[in-house]
Amino acid sequence: MSDFLIHVTIMAGIFSLLALSLNLQVGFGGLMNFGQIALFGCGTYGAALAFEQDLGMLTGLFFGLVAAAVVGWVFASIGRNLQADYWGIVTLALAEVLRLIATNEDRITGGAQGISGIRPFFPGLESRPQQLAILALVLGCVLVAWLLCERLTGGRYGLGLKIMREEPQLSASLGYDILALKRQCMVLGGLIAAVSGFLFAHYVSFVGPDQLGTSETFLIWAMIVIGGLGNNAGAILGAFLLQFTFAFVPFVKDLTGLPTEFVAATRLVLIGGGLVAFILWRQAGLIPEKTGRARHV
Amino acid sequence: MLQFLIDVLMRACDLALVAIALSAVYSLMKFPNVALVQYATAGALLAILFQRSGVPVWLAIGCGVGLTGLIGVLLNEFIFSRMLKSGSATAMIGSLAVSMIISAVFLLAVGPTATRFALPISRPMRILGARITEWQLWSFGVVAGALLLFALLYFRTDLGRQMRATATNEVLADATGINTRRMKALIVLISGLLAALGGVAIALKGEISIQTGLDLLLPVFAAAILGGLGNPFGAVAGALVIAVAETIVTNTNFGPLLGRAVAFLPAAYATAGSFLLLVATLLWRPRGIFVSEVKRV
Amino acid sequence: MSEPLLALTDIHKAFGANQVLKGVGFSIAPGEIVGLLGPNGCGKSTLLNVISGFAPADQGAIRFAGTDIGRLAVDRIARAGLVRTFQLPSMPRRMTVAEVLTGARARGTGFAGLFARPPAEDAAEVDRLLAELALTHVRDLPAAALSGGQKKLLSIALVLRARPKLICLDEPTAGVHPNLRAHMVGLLRRISADGVTLLIVEHDMHFIRELCGRCVVLDRGSVIADCAPAELTANERVVEAYLGNARDKGARA
Repeated sequence: MSDFLIHVTIMAGIFSLLALSLNLQVGFGGLMNFGQIALFGCGTYGAALAFEQDLGMLTGLFFGLVAAAVVGWVFASIGRNLQADYWGIVTLALAEVLRLIATNEDRITGGAQGISGIRPFFPGLESRPQQLAILALVLGCVLVAWLLCERLTGGRYGLGLKIMREEPQLSASLGYDILALKRQCMVLGGLIAAVSGFLFAHYVSFVGPDQLGTSETFLIWAMIVIGGLGNNAGAILGAFLLQFTFAFVPFVKDLTGLPTEFVAATRLVLIGGGLVAFILWRQAGLIPEKTGRARHV
Repeated sequence: MLQFLIDVLMRACDLALVAIALSAVYSLMKFPNVALVQYATAGALLAILFQRSGVPVWLAIGCGVGLTGLIGVLLNEFIFSRMLKSGSATAMIGSLAVSMIISAVFLLAVGPTATRFALPISRPMRILGARITEWQLWSFGVVAGALLLFALLYFRTDLGRQMRATATNEVLADATGINTRRMKALIVLISGLLAALGGVAIALKGEISIQTGLDLLLPVFAAAILGGLGNPFGAVAGALVIAVAETIVTNTNFGPLLGRAVAFLPAAYATAGSFLLLVATLLWRPRGIFVSEVKRV
Repeated sequence: MSEPLLALTDIHKAFGANQVLKGVGFSIAPGEIVGLLGPNGCGKSTLLNVISGFAPADQGAIRFAGTDIGRLAVDRIARAGLVRTFQLPSMPRRMTVAEVLTGARARGTGFAGLFARPPAEDAAEVDRLLAELALTHVRDLPAAALSGGQKKLLSIALVLRARPKLICLDEPTAGVHPNLRAHMVGLLRRISADGVTLLIVEHDMHFIRELCGRCVVLDRGSVIADCAPAELTANERVVEAYLGNARDKGARA
């Protein structure tokens, strides 16, 4: 049982990174990014391709970071005059195009089968210590990412982002370069998402285009809306909450003897229902955004 | 050549009705209702279920479509209108969430595999060297018939005039004495019926599954936006353009360009083509290729 | 004669078939307080939008502090020292007044700046501005929760944070309580004394007379007068423009 708990915690940690990243873009920057999973994919495929070419783990991380930075930059630069929901559709479409490319370019990406057998972290260790070491690594990354995000959003940059988020005209008239702000936000978010992808690839040892469907993006959206938009701790909470709930749904199914479809359906109802409930009755999420806490040096 | 035309026409029929529904509702409610593609699946699934319980097929279709339209109105009244008060982006996410819940219901009702109407199998006919089945013709008939009826309603009746006025400028329409509340409900109802009918048309000539709706999402958006939001018949034209683009993308022999005898793009890239067309439209002609009256972008 | 701070030459702007600005030109010297007046529909707001970069001119040149700003983006113009307020100021909902004021100083967004906190001097300046505008008691409220008049004051404070050389004010007294108006006159005088040049679009003649050394009057897209406030009533074209408009609309002058 505790092996299972460690596994769920590791996955929750990996998703926390994704949630922090999306929260930075959506919660703080007001950027309706529906292509988040593509940034995650840069991390997974970066790791996988480096593994295929025998280039070492750090190279894989580097590939992922660079790719995510580029994709994030492109997302931010596209359609600077588009309203939020239209831009969201553009990011959704672009992410799907990237997924289709990954599915079809067999020679590079392994096609629909993906790339498997990716070397895990800490290969020298025994099974249980290895799991614990990976857990420590992932949670360590979450901690670092959280500190970074808190620092980013609690200081000057955060203030600029927030004004841009709510009153872009005002922000521009005060001298903020909105395009630069958006680009930085998407690139920073992309970098964190890429780290998440890197960790994921080496943990599950398999990378494939099915991991990059739009339903994954929606899952991360649910995490940040339920956890609390514009709050970093909220993002982490949302990730842990949803991951742990999902992990225990199969047990409920076994206990109550419900059919297999129950698992997938319950997950959908949890995400969808949770989102609807929070949007209608508690838009601020579980942990609301902190206002008035901009701290000075 | 005729086969090409038939393929294009069939694909366009898949998209046309749902695209009109999206176009009408998007311009009226001012947010992209992602759940609409699920209405298409719902209409078809409900009709199939009605048929299974003994209802003759055409009556089953009528009931399925009607019921879906009603559900659409209820969802709009109690959920989407409320969410819209928090902004269009929030409503979009909300519609996403509702879409997931609907998917879950489908999963539990019919499972993940595709289903079809219980129809007598007919051998494909050959017309001038092109293949077409009887049910493809019926499907086309349904779509054409629906378009004709809708056109008559929209352009030739007083009710249609009022609907058009409400869709173009609600405030002004209200001021001229039109009952805009009723008109809005009517437009929502009709778009739900059209979307459901669109799903039925797809199911008539093949099969339908939970995935069908999701796969429709981006192409339908592309068609609606290409045609210009708020311009229902522009959406039909948009559907044709998308269908042509997709068919050309996968049927063109790029061999000569690459110095080979034969080089085709994989079939999966068909949808990629329409997504890129969508992105291009949003970036350069966000008001659609016919420049509709809808101002917001 | 030193170079003017802002020089407009032959500005034309049309919206579709509607020619809103027809060859507007005037200059503002550093340190002046200039009023921009005219009957409704004369093009004042459009001119303000053109100057501040929110709308491009079809024709004509705008020079500010020696640079041609006609083709520059809004934020570049702001960083060059030309800022503006809005007639209906819209303030953030999820930020407090103090936060917005702190964030109003847009610094370069280089890498080092990403993780920086606002320096301590900012806190002092924010406190000082809040006190000067009598907004200290609302500093921790969401900025959108302020009254209309308070938002107008706040928007002046915000642009001050940007260290402007020239502030264009878009109808600062519209919808503002008379008590607050007097406060605003004092505030703007102090700002001017600190060396900031002001261009004020306004309808309120008392306000203009108390503050402005000079008035530019627009009518139907052209400049019809450029003189001291006292001389306005003697100017036939100005009187005609206001009365003529009033006669056309059947309203009282």
